[in-house]
Amino acid sequence: EDARESVTVNAELVALRKRLVDEWNAWRTRCIKDMVESRGLKGKAHSNGDANTAKEEIE
Amino acid sequence: MKPILLQGHERSLTQIKFNTDGDLLFSCSKDNIINVWYSHNGERLGTYEGHNGTVWTLDVDSESRFMVSGAADNTLMLWDVQSGKCLYVWEFPTAVKRVAFNQADNQIVCITEQRMGFQCAIRVFDIDRSGDGTNQSKEPRYMFNPIGSKATVCDFTYTPDVIFTGHESGKVALFNVKTGEEIANNERAHGDTVNDLQMSKDYTYCITSSKDKSARIHDTKSLMIIKTFTTETPLNSAALDPKRPYVLLGGGQDAMSVTTTSLRQGKFETRFWHKIFEEEVGRVKGHFGPINTIAVHPAGTGYASGGEDGFVRMHHFDESYFKTDLYGTGNIIIED
Repeated sequence: EDARESVTVNAELVALRKRLVDEWNAWRTRCIKDMVESRGLKGKAHSNGDANTAKEEIE
Repeated sequence: MKPILLQGHERSLTQIKFNTDGDLLFSCSKDNIINVWYSHNGERLGTYEGHNGTVWTLDVDSESRFMVSGAADNTLMLWDVQSGKCLYVWEFPTAVKRVAFNQADNQIVCITEQRMGFQCAIRVFDIDRSGDGTNQSKEPRYMFNPIGSKATVCDFTYTPDVIFTGHESGKVALFNVKTGEEIANNERAHGDTVNDLQMSKDYTYCITSSKDKSARIHDTKSLMIIKTFTTETPLNSAALDPKRPYVLLGGGQDAMSVTTTSLRQGKFETRFWHKIFEEEVGRVKGHFGPINTIAVHPAGTGYASGGEDGFVRMHHFDESYFKTDLYGTGNIIIED
């Protein structure tokens, strides 16, 4: 019975740890996506900014 | 894992930092000097002398060309890493408590102390990298006084002009340095003073340590608390291991606050916690007093700790550190 109990406990622990790692990985993926997107936006904003300055100079 | 004892400071350490390559370790102390050491053998390469008060903080750029330091003598100094020469000095009404370079190495952010009628201030300076480095502007690019609790630690984030701050009250916040506007905050991130802040390699998350005995991992965009590590001693420093899923925590009650229950063994150990499972995995003894500052080698091959005892201990991890699979997660991939 003890043996069976420890097996259940272990199985629960393994499942918990698996869940924690899955949650962590999901969050990391979101983080990196956010960062890449914000870099992309920044790039766009910059090129727009440059275009505007160029226009101003022409005027 | 036999540490190398770096002896070169006469008083307690305040901050230690590796350069990007990890071949050099910089240390600053209450003895007014900054030392630089070879991390592989602990040999002292040089000393930066010039401050007339406790050097509270330092940072080195990614090329290991410039180093910047802030001290109790109310100055912020820019140094040439190689020659040890001071290139520029900025003066303030109060002490400089924290300084950090941005990822592009062209700006620094610093916190000056709230004292003698002066408010806590955060300033961003442009760093002119052309020429010999002596041509810096006296005036900050941006300056503001954070509202509410004073800031104790800060660093840049991956978003331009946004900094992450930790405060005396335990608050963490994001500020726009251009406007001084508090973009977001978490008033209850910690229950007491935040005393260290270290960014992950990609700046998407960071770890803070606090007098409230805990360390926390925060998402630097949402300020969401991702992980909490609760110990039984006030913490002074927390660092992220870039290679293994661990965080390193250091602290300890200082002698003055120790009551009659007194010196329990193990108070001054570096604690290793599992970053994801929030469980303690091991401790490393060594210091005779509280651990004030911890830094992990950027390649994850070792770590250094600086203590109230005036020593820096440089540890190179054994092979077993990389092989041990405590949780049987060897086949599970942990993203970083």
